[in-house]
Amino acid sequence: MKKTNVTIEEVRRLAALSALEFSEEELQAFVPEFENILELVDQVKNCDVSDVEVQYSSHKLSQLRSDIAKDSLPQEEILLNSPKTKKGSFCVPKMLD
Amino acid sequence: MQEYDIVIGLEVHAELKTDSKVFCTCKNQFGSSPNTNCCPVCVGLPGALPVLNKKAVELVIKAGLTMDCEINNLAVFERKNYFYPDLAKAYQISQLVRPICIGGHINLKNKSVRLNRIHLEEDAGKLIHSTQAIGTLIDYNRGGVPLMELVTEPDISSADEAVEFLTKLRARLIFADVAECKMEQGGMRCDVNISVKPKGSKIFGQRTEMKNLNSFKSVYRAIKYEANRQIEILSNGGKITQETRKWDDNHEKSISMRKKETSQDYRYFPDPDLLAVEISKEEVDKIKKTLPLMPEELKQKYIKDYSLTEYDADVITKDKEIINYFEETIKFYNNPKIVANWLLTDILSKIKDEENAEIKITPKNLAKILTLLEEGKISRTVAKDIFAKVWEENADIDELAKQLGGNVDENSLKDIISSIVKNNPKAVEDYKTSDTPDKVFRWFVGQVMKETKGKANAIIAEKIIKEFLN
Amino acid sequence: MNFENMSLIELASLIQEQKVSSVEVTKYFIDKCVEKQNLNAILEIFDDAISQAEEMDKKIKNGFKGKLAGVPVIIKDNILYKGKKASCSSKFLENYVAQYNSTVVDHMLKEGAIILGRANMDEFAMGSSTENSAFVTTLNALDPTRVPGGSSGGSACAVAAGLCPVALGTDTGGSIRQPASYNGVVGIKPTYGRVSRYGVVAFASSLEQVGPITKNVKDNAYMLSVLAGGSENDETSLKIDVPDFLSYIKDNIKGMKIAVLKEVEEVVKGLDVEKTYHDVIKFLSNNGAEIINASIPDFTLTLPCYYIIAPAEATSNLGRFDGVKYSRRSQSATNIDDIYLKSRSEGFGKEVKRRIMLGNFVLSSGYFDAYYNKAKKLQQKLKLEASKVFSVCDAIILPTTTGEAFKIGEKVNDPISMYKEDLFTILANVLGVPSISIPCGKGKNNLPFGIQIIANNLNEGIIYDIANFIEKEYRG
Repeated sequence: MKKTNVTIEEVRRLAALSALEFSEEELQAFVPEFENILELVDQVKNCDVSDVEVQYSSHKLSQLRSDIAKDSLPQEEILLNSPKTKKGSFCVPKMLD
Repeated sequence: MQEYDIVIGLEVHAELKTDSKVFCTCKNQFGSSPNTNCCPVCVGLPGALPVLNKKAVELVIKAGLTMDCEINNLAVFERKNYFYPDLAKAYQISQLVRPICIGGHINLKNKSVRLNRIHLEEDAGKLIHSTQAIGTLIDYNRGGVPLMELVTEPDISSADEAVEFLTKLRARLIFADVAECKMEQGGMRCDVNISVKPKGSKIFGQRTEMKNLNSFKSVYRAIKYEANRQIEILSNGGKITQETRKWDDNHEKSISMRKKETSQDYRYFPDPDLLAVEISKEEVDKIKKTLPLMPEELKQKYIKDYSLTEYDADVITKDKEIINYFEETIKFYNNPKIVANWLLTDILSKIKDEENAEIKITPKNLAKILTLLEEGKISRTVAKDIFAKVWEENADIDELAKQLGGNVDENSLKDIISSIVKNNPKAVEDYKTSDTPDKVFRWFVGQVMKETKGKANAIIAEKIIKEFLN
Repeated sequence: MNFENMSLIELASLIQEQKVSSVEVTKYFIDKCVEKQNLNAILEIFDDAISQAEEMDKKIKNGFKGKLAGVPVIIKDNILYKGKKASCSSKFLENYVAQYNSTVVDHMLKEGAIILGRANMDEFAMGSSTENSAFVTTLNALDPTRVPGGSSGGSACAVAAGLCPVALGTDTGGSIRQPASYNGVVGIKPTYGRVSRYGVVAFASSLEQVGPITKNVKDNAYMLSVLAGGSENDETSLKIDVPDFLSYIKDNIKGMKIAVLKEVEEVVKGLDVEKTYHDVIKFLSNNGAEIINASIPDFTLTLPCYYIIAPAEATSNLGRFDGVKYSRRSQSATNIDDIYLKSRSEGFGKEVKRRIMLGNFVLSSGYFDAYYNKAKKLQQKLKLEASKVFSVCDAIILPTTTGEAFKIGEKVNDPISMYKEDLFTILANVLGVPSISIPCGKGKNNLPFGIQIIANNLNEGIIYDIANFIEKEYRG
């Protein structure tokens, strides 16, 4: 089977989608590494699944949770691990509208 | 000059009327202190898992049934992945491949607008952009509030049609008790996709999208502005860029939004934390039975069964409150035509210019006045007086009827009419020979009223006059 | 008393009968943890463990009865216990304090357990050696130059080294069974949905389960009865009655039909585990079990199938670690985009980043159908193939690992060979069925490895029955 090629642009696109920052060397290193991993996962392409329908695990509408509101966590507990809070809210540097 | 067709598709979000949020049991409530209607699930804490609210699904089904949608027998929830601070989990739980409702339509005056789908998803939190020093604050109270998203086909061709569509949609959602659609609270928001093409052309133009318009006025103005902008560009030989634009209500113009560095790729996939939902035909039928008649159906019913004029029926069915008032009144006084008359002339005219207007007479009291009138216990003039007093000071009707009533009873009325007929033989002759006997008849009624100082019951008087004249 | 050689069941009954106190036992194991801290199995001993034990002793005196009354338990660092840190061995969550209890912790507390501390793991459960922990590498309990396996390496090592009578692990692709195999202890991955995942930091939601790691099979069955049970907070958990798993252990495997997979026979050739694997099969056959030659034709595709589905789910599950709401936020971030990029880049280790990238690859437009959808269909196909096997067999036997634990550092720079470590264990996760690893043999370095027994959905009872039978023979 033909090996799937990975380009550096592809790696950059994935890094952006992942919200991850890499040095140029790290990005370069991903190219062969990804090609190797893809060689492994590309094996699924060999398998004929044309007659297979994906089954969803499901439950009946009547089995769903009833619409009953319960107490929430206290505000201070919600904010417990927050790196920055103000006025009972999570806080980030001012964003443009 | 080249003329253009405008092609508009709408995406409408409405917050559903549930007690709890869509994937957790926090309150679905507007106006609480920041981050007080929050739990591990809606703040996206590690390890938290969503659990779907049955009512939210039922409400979307209900909405769909009012618009002739097909209800999917299996609804699946997907994750829409992107980073934004109002999105606690960095994905929104939404529906892509198997939404709850498919197809459907809403009929406008001149056309039918097809729907593509209605699906269920969760709302995001709210960002408050404060000062530079404070920064942007995030409140997740709204995060996880159930939203239905309705997507139309691009069947709308003007700002007027868009507003007509939204008005009808809103009425249905309110009517079916699906959503309150409080636009000022963001309870109903609209994205507009718009493109223009040379008149008659089959090829769609490049479209732009305007997000989160939260009043009908903004939708109207935004469409007008954006269509003109696009037409102007094309007329000058320019090209439209596909983009998201922001409508600025204050300056009445749309502006291009900052372009994202990465093109949006939401990487939808089925949420492995949620099971798909089987919706049986029986359950859909059960929900169907709970549906009230929709405004349009009611209007037809009023015209057909109650003989209301199209105009009256239209006015009454525009507003849920008024429909309820009307329906309630005719429960106690079963003459819809008379109720409609009073409702339009005496009530709606009174409150039409008021904001947060309130009908200051209960349906029961109105019915009581109308009953007294019909029974001949009070005259029309007195009825109007009593109505005014009840409206202004919530006066006691029985008391007033005693004071102002003192109606001329039927026997005295007979005597009075008998003498009028005797004293006016010419008029009697006229009535029998005239081309317009009605006019003469009215004259007799007028004489009776004059004689009784308005204290005769018109209906009874008319009846007696007719007996004497024939 | 030497509590470390006692079974969980013995210990629980001693404490319940007040022959020893919970405080005594808890102190004993805390001392063990301190004494053997060079193993790096435990990240933290909770400072209130002894006071909890004192409380429990009082309760027991007042008549409290619970399956775990006063028994200390160690939990994997991705399981939330309110008020205690849960870091997933990640710098990102280094100081994260759980704001609520996981369902499994609630279940254990209800039965009177003392939660002693948290065990090291591969960061966010991604790895097979604990070398991906952001903090320390745990040592194999039996050979300090070797890995303990992973990702529940800290938990397995802790049980094997006698630091606690029982520990919890999580298993997404073998993360309980593989370290159990390497440390010579017993670990089960229950049926998907048997145990609630609520409050367990998610890696690959559709594949993972919490399960007990114990010294022996009966302890394991005993502990699973505590952990199991659906939760209204977890749609994917099964709302069915929890059986007493111990009651399935009947010491008789006559007539039991046990499948041997053709595909495994192929793979196992030449591996360290080969001889032991065949020995166990022979032993079962000699004792009246019927060995049936069966096939799951796409067995070898479980690995690529897993390495598509798991990263896809992981990438989305780890999106919430964005520096906005809790724990790490990069000090150098001055705008929201920086908060995302820098907090995540500083907070995640290499393997986690690699899997996030891979997950985004298989989900991104243009690749979704070829990878994610294909893998989901393949998973469905594998389920059909397995259901044919289970229609005629009670269980499937296969190795847990290829052999003994590998050396620390041996595979750390070779992700592919690390991924291949999971070859035998992934099947049960992809199918959703229960699977146990029990120690059966020793390799050329005199280190243990395990054999797996897999059964159809909800048949943990059958698994325990067979496993217990094997254990009696192979426990030295």
